[in-house]
Amino acid sequence: MSEAAIDINAIERELRQMWQEQENPPDAGGQAVIRALTLNLIARMPDDHWADLAMTVAPALTAHHPNRTVIVIDRPGQTTELQASVQALCTLTSGGRAQVCGEQVTISARGASAGQLTSLILPLLVPDLPVVLWAPGAQPLAQPLVQRLYRLCDRLIVDSATFADPVRELTELATFEQATNGAPAVSDLGWTRLTPWRELTAQFFDTRPFLPHLHRIDEIVIEYAAADRPNPVAALLFAGWLASCLKWTPLEEAVGIEGETIQLYLRRPAVGVGPAAIRLVSVEIRPVAHSAGEGLVRLILRAVDNQRAEFVVELTGEAGHACTRATIAGAAPIERTATIERATLADLLSSELRLLSRDRTFAAALHVAAGLARRFPV
Amino acid sequence: MATSAFNNPLRAGLRIGRTPEPCTMVIFGSSGDLTSRKLVPALYNLARERRLPGGFSVVGFARRDWTDEYFRDLLREAVNVNSRSGPVDPELWASFAHGIQYHRGSFDDAEAYTSLAERLAKIDTERGTGGNRVFYLATPPDAYPTIVAQLGAHGLAHSRGWTRIIIEKPFGHDLASAQALNAEVLSVFDEDQVFRIDHYLGKETVQNILIFRFANGIFEPIWNRNQIDHVQITVAETIGVEDRGGYYDSSGALRDMIQNHLMQLLCLVAMEPPSVYDADAVRDEKVKVLRAIRPLSVSDTVRGQYGPGSANGLPVRGYREEKGVSPTSQTETYVALKLFIDNWRWAGVPFYLRSGKRLPRRVSEIAIQFKSAPTMIFADTPLNDLDPNVLAIKIQPDEGISLKFSSKTPGQPQIRPVTMDFRYGASFGVTSPEAYERLLLDCMLGDGTLFTRRDEVEASWALLTPILQAWAEGPPQPFPNYEAGSWGPAAADEFIARDGRYWRRL
Ligand SMILES: NC(=O)c1ccc[n+]([C@@H]2O[C@H](COP(=O)([O-])OP(=O)(O)OC[C@H]3O[C@@H](n4cnc5c(N)ncnc54)[C@H](OP(=O)(O)O)[C@@H]3O)[C@@H](O)[C@H]2O)c1
Repeated sequence: MSEAAIDINAIERELRQMWQEQENPPDAGGQAVIRALTLNLIARMPDDHWADLAMTVAPALTAHHPNRTVIVIDRPGQTTELQASVQALCTLTSGGRAQVCGEQVTISARGASAGQLTSLILPLLVPDLPVVLWAPGAQPLAQPLVQRLYRLCDRLIVDSATFADPVRELTELATFEQATNGAPAVSDLGWTRLTPWRELTAQFFDTRPFLPHLHRIDEIVIEYAAADRPNPVAALLFAGWLASCLKWTPLEEAVGIEGETIQLYLRRPAVGVGPAAIRLVSVEIRPVAHSAGEGLVRLILRAVDNQRAEFVVELTGEAGHACTRATIAGAAPIERTATIERATLADLLSSELRLLSRDRTFAAALHVAAGLARRFPV
Repeated sequence: MATSAFNNPLRAGLRIGRTPEPCTMVIFGSSGDLTSRKLVPALYNLARERRLPGGFSVVGFARRDWTDEYFRDLLREAVNVNSRSGPVDPELWASFAHGIQYHRGSFDDAEAYTSLAERLAKIDTERGTGGNRVFYLATPPDAYPTIVAQLGAHGLAHSRGWTRIIIEKPFGHDLASAQALNAEVLSVFDEDQVFRIDHYLGKETVQNILIFRFANGIFEPIWNRNQIDHVQITVAETIGVEDRGGYYDSSGALRDMIQNHLMQLLCLVAMEPPSVYDADAVRDEKVKVLRAIRPLSVSDTVRGQYGPGSANGLPVRGYREEKGVSPTSQTETYVALKLFIDNWRWAGVPFYLRSGKRLPRRVSEIAIQFKSAPTMIFADTPLNDLDPNVLAIKIQPDEGISLKFSSKTPGQPQIRPVTMDFRYGASFGVTSPEAYERLLLDCMLGDGTLFTRRDEVEASWALLTPILQAWAEGPPQPFPNYEAGSWGPAAADEFIARDGRYWRRL
């Protein structure tokens, strides 16, 4: 198949044939290969680099989410080129026999219009299964193909770590999330990467005696790894998460920027005083040089008024590990090492694919973060 | 599920569950096999997956003269060998091991408990464990009453945090001893502090039985006497008694396997849906099943004992030649039995249970055999005795579910059985956590759903004790009566064949 025209029937035929080859003769122990499809994944890849990534990710997803993946390599170009190929993705038994299989269709395009691509993608979707659109890279919402497809999807997955103009794209994502109102549900892999950080932070306060300190936090410091162009979106989302969980609201003058350091000022409900009383929370977000390359590096939650309490999660020298430390004035610090593995793209996607509906925790964090981002001086 | 009185606002929307509060786990019998093979690897893996809080501590209690360092090194080696995640991650282990101590003492030595109490208080302040404690009895069963009484006498059964106790199997050796042990334990602890472990309940497929039944609407309507012909529950082991001969010879297959593991499986298959999924509602339904079982008589059972034979192609000893076993032993290493549950759902449906040692394959499964198609319309097929549909829930070694149905052979008039297999490991491409991981975590979270309640243990013993008595009083058996490496005594095949049925070939 080549040139500008792809024959959908031919793709379907190839898919059928592929299954026939997988099938065992009926007397081979009477065991059938299972074509188990739990969803359609459309992977809209902006370039060859991403296309290569998608090729490695799709098989890794089969274990948890056997699916039909349609990888669309949507490159710009003067003339139109279209090619398609088909592949089975199977998990193997210990004996090397295929057991659960999904399917992958790759559409390699150059200079194709969104309309052309859509007309190829739609007939390839397996009916009656959720459709997820994964669109990494810069400006996903501005891509014509995404604009055409998102209404047909149950979930749109972007990655804020790959945004080109991170703070502005964050606000656009929030606007989109609000406007679409769960149809499709929106996921951001940048948020997914925060999961271990959120877990380790939350864990401090599963301890009954520590919980009261959570309501009297005064200062937050969030450090993230940055090389040349800092992308503070993950840190902003983390701050947004804390603020939305703890009902902190931005002050009138909520944002101060000094070089690469962002200062946020919020008010929190005061503990143990009159209902009108408020307390200030300051959040400092700053990039640091770190071998991790990207993502959060250190997190400090501090209560300074009255009894001093400090909760720290920070990467250790050893890759994949973090140290957590709770220090309450008058008691020995409680410290331990925990794993904070760098999740692969497949892990991240897989964890988002597990969600069936709108991720309300993410949405709440996103809207607070975007609300702050909108107040950034231009 | 246990709900906590306090609410952590950061928990909403997180994809893993709550972590328990920091606590100290005191393992009695910590120099033993269970501790290094199962418990500490499970705890380490929980820590690795961020399921344990900072401050979590372990105190090992046994007689041997060991130092903390020696104990830690030994456990590290044990985790290296036994952990499903492979050798330890050094940095993580260092942090985990920091919370491990060894407490030397004998179970009957009051002094050792006084010093234990002091040690625990010290850990509470140094590591922020706030008085929260789990006592794990990984000891020979005759030590349980001593330890419980000592804990009570030293004020260790209650603290300013929570205190729980995990009791290993066997829980009693008949109804009277189980009742006596319950009375002793419950004179010191409250029932909601007591976690009787049956590691079968910690296995994911076992938990999946309830999910499978009650989260899939299509099965419940056929899960009854109208559609099901009979149920077979098999737990087959290839091993003999290993070095547990002395213990096993006073126990036997009925006590060691049927009373706990197979009865638990039976309950999960047969129980009514609980109104909510919480510890008491689930266990109430299980107890109802046990109480509805028609009293058993010896004629509902078959016993066996393995003689010399082979395993894995190598010759092996017979049971009576095993170390610690009497050469005239009458202990059964194989049991098959048939029982009926006299309620609306199951009246008239036989449940066949079998378990044995030195069988050809290690396999645990529950097979639901459905009634055959009502009339045979494909009479001119050469194979006109159609296989009935069988739903097999496999627990070991490959967790999964398979459904056998009939299908036409392409191009020929033949109908053949085909199985559709759903393998847990393969379909989700992950190693499921070890049973002990789930159970230890549940206990620390205060969730007793997967533990056996007092009335459950007693109901199960009440059913089986008359059989034990009748066997003891009856004539000696012509043991050994099956060859090691075979599927049990011929009598077991005849037993089921009398009902016009046969054991599944596994
Ligand atoms: N092993 C398994 O896989 C397994 C599986 C399921 C259930 N279980 C159950 O778990 C329990 C423990 O099994 P296990 O195999 O670990 O037993 P084990 O290897 O015999 O260990 C028992 C430990 O208890 C200690 N001990 C015995 N008497 C003592 C006393 N008077 N004072 C202080 N310590 C004493 C011994 O340590 P010292 O010699 O240092 O005193 C020994 O290390 C048993 O109830 C068993 O039925 C075991």
